[in-house]
Amino acid sequence: MSADLTSASQPATPPAASEGGGVIHDIGYRRYDAERHGRPGIVAALTWHSFRAAFGLGRGAKAKIFPVLLFVLMCLPAIVDTVGLAIHPGSQPVVSYDAYIPSLRTVAMLIFVALEAPNLVSADLRTHTLPLYFARPIQRIDYPLAKLIAFVLACLVMIEVPLLLLYIGNVTQQHGPSQVLEQTLQLGPGLLYGGAWALLLASIGLLLASATGKRVFAICAIGIPLFFSYILAHVLSQVGEQAFGPLGPGEPSALASLAGLISPFTLLGGVLRWLQAPRGDQVQAQMIQATVVGHYGWVYGAVFVVVTAAAIGGLFARYRKVGIA
Amino acid sequence: MIAQPTQEREPAREPQSGAVVQARALTKRYGTTVTALDELTVSVWAGITGLVGANGAGKSTLIKILLGLLEPTSGNAQVLGRDCVRDGFAIRMLTGYMPEHDCLPPDVSATELVTHFGRMSGLPLTAARERAADSLRHVGLYEERYRQIGTYSTGMKQRVKLAQALVGDPRLLLLDEPTNGLDPAGRTAMLDLIARIGSQFGISIVVASHLLGEIEQICDHLVAIDGGRLLRADTISSVTKATAVLLVEVEEGTEQLQASLAARGLGPALYQRGLLVRLTSDEVYDAVRDSVAALGLPLRRMEQRRHRIEELFRADATVDAIPGPGPSAGPGQTTGAVGVR
Repeated sequence: MSADLTSASQPATPPAASEGGGVIHDIGYRRYDAERHGRPGIVAALTWHSFRAAFGLGRGAKAKIFPVLLFVLMCLPAIVDTVGLAIHPGSQPVVSYDAYIPSLRTVAMLIFVALEAPNLVSADLRTHTLPLYFARPIQRIDYPLAKLIAFVLACLVMIEVPLLLLYIGNVTQQHGPSQVLEQTLQLGPGLLYGGAWALLLASIGLLLASATGKRVFAICAIGIPLFFSYILAHVLSQVGEQAFGPLGPGEPSALASLAGLISPFTLLGGVLRWLQAPRGDQVQAQMIQATVVGHYGWVYGAVFVVVTAAAIGGLFARYRKVGIA
Repeated sequence: MIAQPTQEREPAREPQSGAVVQARALTKRYGTTVTALDELTVSVWAGITGLVGANGAGKSTLIKILLGLLEPTSGNAQVLGRDCVRDGFAIRMLTGYMPEHDCLPPDVSATELVTHFGRMSGLPLTAARERAADSLRHVGLYEERYRQIGTYSTGMKQRVKLAQALVGDPRLLLLDEPTNGLDPAGRTAMLDLIARIGSQFGISIVVASHLLGEIEQICDHLVAIDGGRLLRADTISSVTKATAVLLVEVEEGTEQLQASLAARGLGPALYQRGLLVRLTSDEVYDAVRDSVAALGLPLRRMEQRRHRIEELFRADATVDAIPGPGPSAGPGQTTGAVGVR
């Protein structure tokens, strides 16, 4: 085979003799015999490509406006907190590692997921680019897998980088290793909880976005359910509290306790409440988190796992079946 | 030009000289009603092979099965010696695919797109960049390759589709309707390009098309399918030779001439204003000349028509109606399945 190929890949015409440069040489067809990446390398390349796409990198300036704006918005509390500490040393930080600023995080991540998830998956559906991917040496599952990893990473950047900024700001104001250690111990759970946000929102966002190739429809398909479920969860929680009243001290009614399961954001809030309960941070949790869980904290944990798994499973199933017309 | 492998050649030790594609009793059904491929058995050899058939004949289905993108209902197929179902991964490493439909995102440049799909073929970044530039140059895109694809003409988009198939340095190219949507000049340019890739780059090509006249121009071999079944698989020269006919046109007395030629056993058929006679040997020319001279008719035209492959498919093909001189004549001669093996 090689002898045949070598002769075939010789230049069709010898390169023209160049006098003063500027002559285009017909170098003929060149074979590629060097190393190739296997499946992991290709998936990594697709992941990196998709991660960049989530922030509008590799596309026009317009595509970068919203992700950059949202990212700056997410970082603002950390910066403000740091500046506040610098001006008034010894004051208590107002931003926590766990929930950060829940309302800001909810709004910013809702917009980020709704706007950027379609860039990762809907665009390829709309332009029928998928056949080009599936004709490459990857398996069907590799495409949604790379997209999921990329988008979880993108959400992590949105959520965790502000936490790290907050940590750096706090640590620079602290004195003594014990205080630094205390900050570090608080940061750890915050990062983990941020990971839960990224995983749940990225998987739900991609699943909804992969339903349609039209960008506007995809944005609506993500934004509308996320927004209205969040509102509904709050309304039901209020109704639960006011109509049925608390069953006892620290024991809200079942409706109030379970209403938070409706929306991913209140679901995540409930998970935090459930995890914080043993630490006895009720006061702080009350302050930062609207979700009421009562005795049903474990339900929030279970629903979080089930919903995340279902969204990821649905995403993979979607690409097993997707047409490659 | 790569030497044309003949039908007699044994299936091969080396992929490039042997069968690049072998399908055995390949069947694909969608549900219970739609049969896209029906017991298709065919071999495709190195060089450029035309895969022709009407729309819905099963061309695209066959290509997708070969790429391992669809699973056959039954039967099996091998590409470059690898099984399509079990080894689709390895096949896709060695194969470039140009889909039929528009598949390009409008908001990236050709360079970015082809580089990206070079990486998707396993090339490291620098190699992908180099090969993307090479591939785009080979398909004839120069400065415009930095522009967004959305601004391209259909012809340029088709070239980008070909470039992304070429970027991974495939051993086999599967091109699905590469001239789709192109004007005549664009078609010619695309066909020249495919012919050049096939002959100078040492890459085997399967090119699917419903426009059979095009296939004839650039292919070494022809595989004709219809309704998921093999109509014919042969070298292009033997396909066109078998259908050579002579068109005879006289100013008047067409009926007399028809009778006279029929009496000589040539079995002429009316075609437009003239008569078609199957060109079985050079004596046919003499017979026609003698008949015309004997009747004293004013001869307007006597022309050898190389029958286009289209006529293999025309249900009402006039040439099929010619009862040829031999016992094997009749519709079966042109439409009967002649498998290579």
